[in-house]
Amino acid sequence: MPELAPQPGRPRIVGFLCDFSVDASSLIEADGTMRDAPNVKLIKVPCSGFVRPSWLEFALRNGAEGVFVCGCPLGDCFNRLGNNLIGDRVVQLRRRFERQKIHPERISAIYYGLHDQASFVAGVKAFSDHVAQLPGPVVPAPRAPGGGVARPPARPAGQPAEQTPPAPEAQEGS
Amino acid sequence: MNDRAGGGGAAGGSSSDAEARYGGWIIILALVSLAAVVVIAWGEVAGQRLVGGAAVGVILLAYSFILLFLRKGGFTGV
Amino acid sequence: MYSRALARLLDWTLRLDVAINRVYPEDFNPLYYTGGLSNLFLTVLVLSGIFLFLYYVPSFNDAYISVQFITATVPYGVIIRGVHRYAADGFMIAVLLHFFRNWFTDRFRFSRDEPWISGMMLLLFTGFLGVTGYVLVWDERSQLIVALTGRTLGAVPWVGGWLQSEWQGSAGISNLLLPRMLYLHVGLAVLLYILLWWHYVRIRHPKVWPPAVWTLFSLGLVFLLTGLLPATSQPVARPETVPQTLTVDWLFLLPYVALKVMSPIVLLALAVVIVVYGLYIPYQLPETTHALGIRDSGIAQVIDANCTGCELCYYDCPYNAIVMTPSPHPGVTKAAQARKLYAVVLESRCVECGICVGACPFEALELPRMLERDVQEKVVAACRS
Repeated sequence: MPELAPQPGRPRIVGFLCDFSVDASSLIEADGTMRDAPNVKLIKVPCSGFVRPSWLEFALRNGAEGVFVCGCPLGDCFNRLGNNLIGDRVVQLRRRFERQKIHPERISAIYYGLHDQASFVAGVKAFSDHVAQLPGPVVPAPRAPGGGVARPPARPAGQPAEQTPPAPEAQEGS
Repeated sequence: MNDRAGGGGAAGGSSSDAEARYGGWIIILALVSLAAVVVIAWGEVAGQRLVGGAAVGVILLAYSFILLFLRKGGFTGV
Repeated sequence: MYSRALARLLDWTLRLDVAINRVYPEDFNPLYYTGGLSNLFLTVLVLSGIFLFLYYVPSFNDAYISVQFITATVPYGVIIRGVHRYAADGFMIAVLLHFFRNWFTDRFRFSRDEPWISGMMLLLFTGFLGVTGYVLVWDERSQLIVALTGRTLGAVPWVGGWLQSEWQGSAGISNLLLPRMLYLHVGLAVLLYILLWWHYVRIRHPKVWPPAVWTLFSLGLVFLLTGLLPATSQPVARPETVPQTLTVDWLFLLPYVALKVMSPIVLLALAVVIVVYGLYIPYQLPETTHALGIRDSGIAQVIDANCTGCELCYYDCPYNAIVMTPSPHPGVTKAAQARKLYAVVLESRCVECGICVGACPFEALELPRMLERDVQEKVVAACRS
C-alpha cells in the first residue's frame, strides 16, 4: 500500500471530495489514496459546504502539508450553494492563515464535475506540486503564553508526550 | 498593464496569445455594434423600425459575445 | 428500469455540461441558470404585455383591429409585439430546459419535492397562457383554437358542456369570449407569480437572473427575431367560415396538432396521464437513501449547549430548513449563555447536506452519522504514514 510519507516533491495532501462532484471511484484505492498521486488521500463528504474551515486547519496541524476541498462546478452545486460557500470560507481562512503565519496557499477549493476525472487528477497534481515548493514549516511552532520560550510543536494524537525542558533563550517563529 | 490594443502580443506566452486572439474579435464586435447604432438611428429616421429593432438585437448579441471574449481572453474575471 | 434510464440521462446531461464548459467558462454555462433564464423571459413578457394591454380591445369587432393598430401605428408597437411573441417561445424553451435538467440531475428528491410540484403547475399554466395569448389576436388561428379547445373540453364526461361554456363565456361563441380570454391571460400571469412564491419559498438565494452574457444574448436574439420575422396575424376571424389550417407555434400549439390524429377524449386522457405522472416523479423511486445508494448522514442536529444564535447556519442553509427561534433557555458554553436566538432544524426540509455544519463556528450542529469526531479520525488516519 503506498505510504503517505512526505518525500521531496511529494507532500502529504488531504482532499475532501463531495459526493456529487467528480466520480473518483476509478481513481482511488480502498483507503482513499489516489492511484495517480499516491501522496494524496481523499475523504468523501456529503457536500463541499459540509467542510468546516477548522477541519482544514486541523489537517495542517496533524501532518498534512496541503488540504483541498473539491466540490461541483461553480453554479451547479447539487445542494445549490455548497461550492460557493466553501469557496468563500477558504478565502476567509486564507486571510486568517496569513495572520497566523501559515502559508495561505496550503489550502484550496477546486471544482470538478462528474466526468472531469482527467482535469481533476491534473488539478490535484498541480496543487500538490505547488504545495511542494512552498517554504517553511507547515505551521509555525507555538509560542508560550505571553511570548518568550518555544515549546515542541504539536504532535498528532496518539503519540506519547516527551518531557523537554524549555530553552531560555531560543525563540522561534517570527 | 496589459497591452490591450488588438493583436499586440508584446510579451510572449499563452495569456497574451489569448489576449491577442480574443482582443481582435472584441474590436471587430465593437465596430459591429457601432455600425448597428448607426442602423438604429437610420431606422428611426427612415421609419423602418423593424430594421432598427433587428439592429438592437445585433447590438445586444454583440455585447454578449464581447463579455464572453473579455472573460476568455483573460481581460476580466476571477 | 426507470432508475437505469434516469442514471443514463444524468450521465448524458453532465457530459453535455463538459462539452459546454469547453466553450463557456463554467459560471457562464446556461444550463446552470435555466431558472434565471425563465425568469428573465417572464419579466420581458410581463413588461411587453403591459404595453400591449394598454392598447388591446377585447371585443369581436375591435380585437383584430386593435392588434393591427399596435403593429402598424403605435410607435414601436411592432417591436413590442414581436418581443412578446418571441419571449414567450424563449420562456417555454427555458422552462422545459429547467424541467428536464432538474429531472435528470435528481434535484427533486425527498425534501426538495415542493419546488417540483409548484414547477409542474407553473409549466401547465404557462401552456394555458400561451394558448390564451394566441386567442386574443382573434384571427383564423384563434378561431380554430377556440373551436378545438371547446370541443375537447366538451368531450369530458359529465361536466363537458359546463366546461365548454365556462371556456367560451356562454353556451355558444359570443361577445363574452374575448374578455374572458383576456381575464384568463392576465389572471394566469398573476397566478404564475403566486406559484413562483411557492416555488421559491424553500430556496434560499434563488438564482432568479442569468449571467449578463446570457441576459444580453437572450434579449438580443428576441429583438433580432422580431426584426427579421415580425409577428403577424393570420387573416381576421370570420364567424361564418370554419378555418381549416393554422400556422403552428409548436411550443404552445402542439396539442392542437395532435387533435388531427387523435380524438379529443384521447388527447385529454393523455394530458391527464402526463400531468399526473409529472407530479408523481419525485415519489417514483424508493424513498430510502440506502436503497438509492446515497449516503445517509441523518438530519442535522443542533447541539443545544453550544448554539449562540449567531444565525450563520440560518443564512447558509440552501433550503430554508433552519429557523431562528427565541431561545427557550440559555446554553452551556459562555457564548451560548448569552444567546437571544436559538437555531431549530425543520426536519421536513432538511436534505442532510451538512452545509449548516460547515457554517457553524461554534460546533453547534452535527450530522448524526458524520460527526466532527468521525471527520477528524479520518483526517488523522489520512495523515498517518
